[in-house]
Amino acid sequence: MLEKIARPDEIRRWPGDMPVRHRYTPGVGGDAFFTALHERGVVLGSHCAACGTTYVPARRFCERDFSELSADTEVGPAGQLVSFTIVFAGIEGEPLDRPDVLGAVRLDGADAVLIHRVLEPGEEPLEIGERLEVVVRPEGERTGSILDIEGFRRTD
Amino acid sequence: MARRVAVVGAGMTRFVRRAQETGKELAWEASREALASCELSLDRVDAVCLTSAPDAFDGVHMKGEYLSDGAGAFGRPYMRTYVGGGSGVFTAIQAYYTVASGMADVVLAVAEEKMSSTQPHPQGAFLTIFDNVLERPLGPNLLWIFALEMNRYMTVHGLDKRDIASVAVKNKRNAADHPAALLGQADITVEDVLASETLAWPVQRLDVSPISDGAVALVVASEEAAKRISSDPVWIQGVGWNLDTAYWTNRDLVFPEYVANAARMAYEMAGVTEPRKQIHVAEPYDPFDYKELHHLEGLLLFDKGKAPEAARDGVLDRTGDLPSCPSGGLLGVGNPIAAAGLMKVAELFWQLRGEAGARQVPGTPERGVAQAWGDLMQVGTVVVMGREGGPPTTATQLETPPVATPATSLSDAEFRSATGAVEDAIGAEYEWDAGVAVGRFLDGLREGTIMGRECRNCGRVLVPPRMFCERCFRGTDAWVQVENTGVVQTFSICHVSWDMQPLDEPQLPAVIAIDGSDGGFLHMLGEVTPEDARVGMAVEAVWKPVAERTGSILDIAYFRPRGGTA
Repeated sequence: MLEKIARPDEIRRWPGDMPVRHRYTPGVGGDAFFTALHERGVVLGSHCAACGTTYVPARRFCERDFSELSADTEVGPAGQLVSFTIVFAGIEGEPLDRPDVLGAVRLDGADAVLIHRVLEPGEEPLEIGERLEVVVRPEGERTGSILDIEGFRRTD
Repeated sequence: MARRVAVVGAGMTRFVRRAQETGKELAWEASREALASCELSLDRVDAVCLTSAPDAFDGVHMKGEYLSDGAGAFGRPYMRTYVGGGSGVFTAIQAYYTVASGMADVVLAVAEEKMSSTQPHPQGAFLTIFDNVLERPLGPNLLWIFALEMNRYMTVHGLDKRDIASVAVKNKRNAADHPAALLGQADITVEDVLASETLAWPVQRLDVSPISDGAVALVVASEEAAKRISSDPVWIQGVGWNLDTAYWTNRDLVFPEYVANAARMAYEMAGVTEPRKQIHVAEPYDPFDYKELHHLEGLLLFDKGKAPEAARDGVLDRTGDLPSCPSGGLLGVGNPIAAAGLMKVAELFWQLRGEAGARQVPGTPERGVAQAWGDLMQVGTVVVMGREGGPPTTATQLETPPVATPATSLSDAEFRSATGAVEDAIGAEYEWDAGVAVGRFLDGLREGTIMGRECRNCGRVLVPPRMFCERCFRGTDAWVQVENTGVVQTFSICHVSWDMQPLDEPQLPAVIAIDGSDGGFLHMLGEVTPEDARVGMAVEAVWKPVAERTGSILDIAYFRPRGGTA
């Protein structure tokens, strides 16, 4: 029943796409998080009094018990490296000029981790458990984006 | 033996054009309101059933997983079901069988949709419901399907557009009493609907429900749990769902037999033998005004072609003999697709408990039916619910949903300037091939012939052809050359592109039944003015010159009236 394809490049093809793009707004919880980052350069989380979990970024509700939350807890700026990876290939598989280092950091006061770049880790290998801190861009360069955080760097 | 299952709580957000809340925040608002309505905490929920229409609306791949925290799924058995527009009612069915089977005692059923994320228009996400090889080269627009179905329904039954427009009027007026409604309008008239912009004739702007964001949730419980939780549970007495063929141009566009099949399944389970007498309130699916009528007939509540006069005569009004869409429906409350379907089930819950406030239908309705429709425009999903044992015992002074029902509407400017907002395109491109049957069909077009496949079991000649017969579920037997002529089953006069931009020249898409076959396909009419196009018109294929043919559906330039220009 199957047609035998000897020359795949000669198969008739109908190219197409789904002509949509999306605009993602940060919602109620995200609005408080990004506004604080933009205006004050701080990382806000949400503490659930019912179960004791502190989420970061700030959230509107607790997924464990459905309590209503607000952006009431400033976390960091320092924290503990929970895991990291060193990325050598780009999205199309192309080699990167400089490897990207991504870290998962549990900021002080938070239960959840934040993912961001690790800046200039230097020659000494990163170790899980070591202390890193958030580097926030200067006020005039912040736009209300996760990139207002430049990344994490080692604390001295 | 299935266990008895009841709805004990319901909640919904306002339906708005652009919600400030994220999808998961909307889901949480509706879910916590549903739980609060029956004084239940999340830890009492055993399992969560979620639905949401295409991922492409929210722009989130694996939307079920994304929405899980807002639906209360953390650490619980959880599954998203998805049957397109039929999803909202289907998730109530999913909750039903999860409880009826004994798998869970208390289930949260949640439906969410955030269509405002899609740019420039959610219709872009719908284009791939058309066949990518046979239909998309024609430049289709989602409205075509509805306009073509509506025209055939009107023409076969000789219906007056005014009667159909009265459904939009009824629903937008009903929605004026709904605290969560987007488009309630107490003073709208049939003239307003008939004067609104023609999009794809016979579909006009006010015949169509709006793009919306919102969420709805139900708490569904076993008999034992329901009696513990609520003094007035509303029982799910019957559920049904059914699909028509995936080839929409091969369907009966006049009567939705698949809805009738779904309704029969639900009625049989519910012990309903005379639906028109035993159903007291209906929430049929109304993304377009004619669809409500189509569906009321599919639900066996009116004879074929008779629902429009019932609408005209006030039978469907809230105070009429069979109130239909007392909520205001999709046309009035709004159409966040999956959420809108579940809203219909929630409305039955409130109506049957006597809690619908200004929307309450008179008397004490004991049984209602909710229905939605979707997938590739061919699924019917039906739920029959009823109260048992005397008049409602709950307070009737409640406003449902509460007036303070959440979801904050953003203006377009706020939406465009929101702090932290990100705009992105998935950027996915595809290359579709024709497959075996359609590949041979396209070879035929290049040669100036239309080919079908014969099934010798049912005797049908299938156009578009397929290598298997979906009714007999066996391989088809032979290629058959059919005629290059056919009959217009229905047509539309379309004035807008898929992203709702005006066209310079109207398009005339049509479904053409091909002579010598039992099927037909979508193509365009030419050499005929919009005024002269007719359902039932005999047409012939006009071929492109041989040298210009490529083995494409566009090798037929268009179909024209037989014997030349009309």
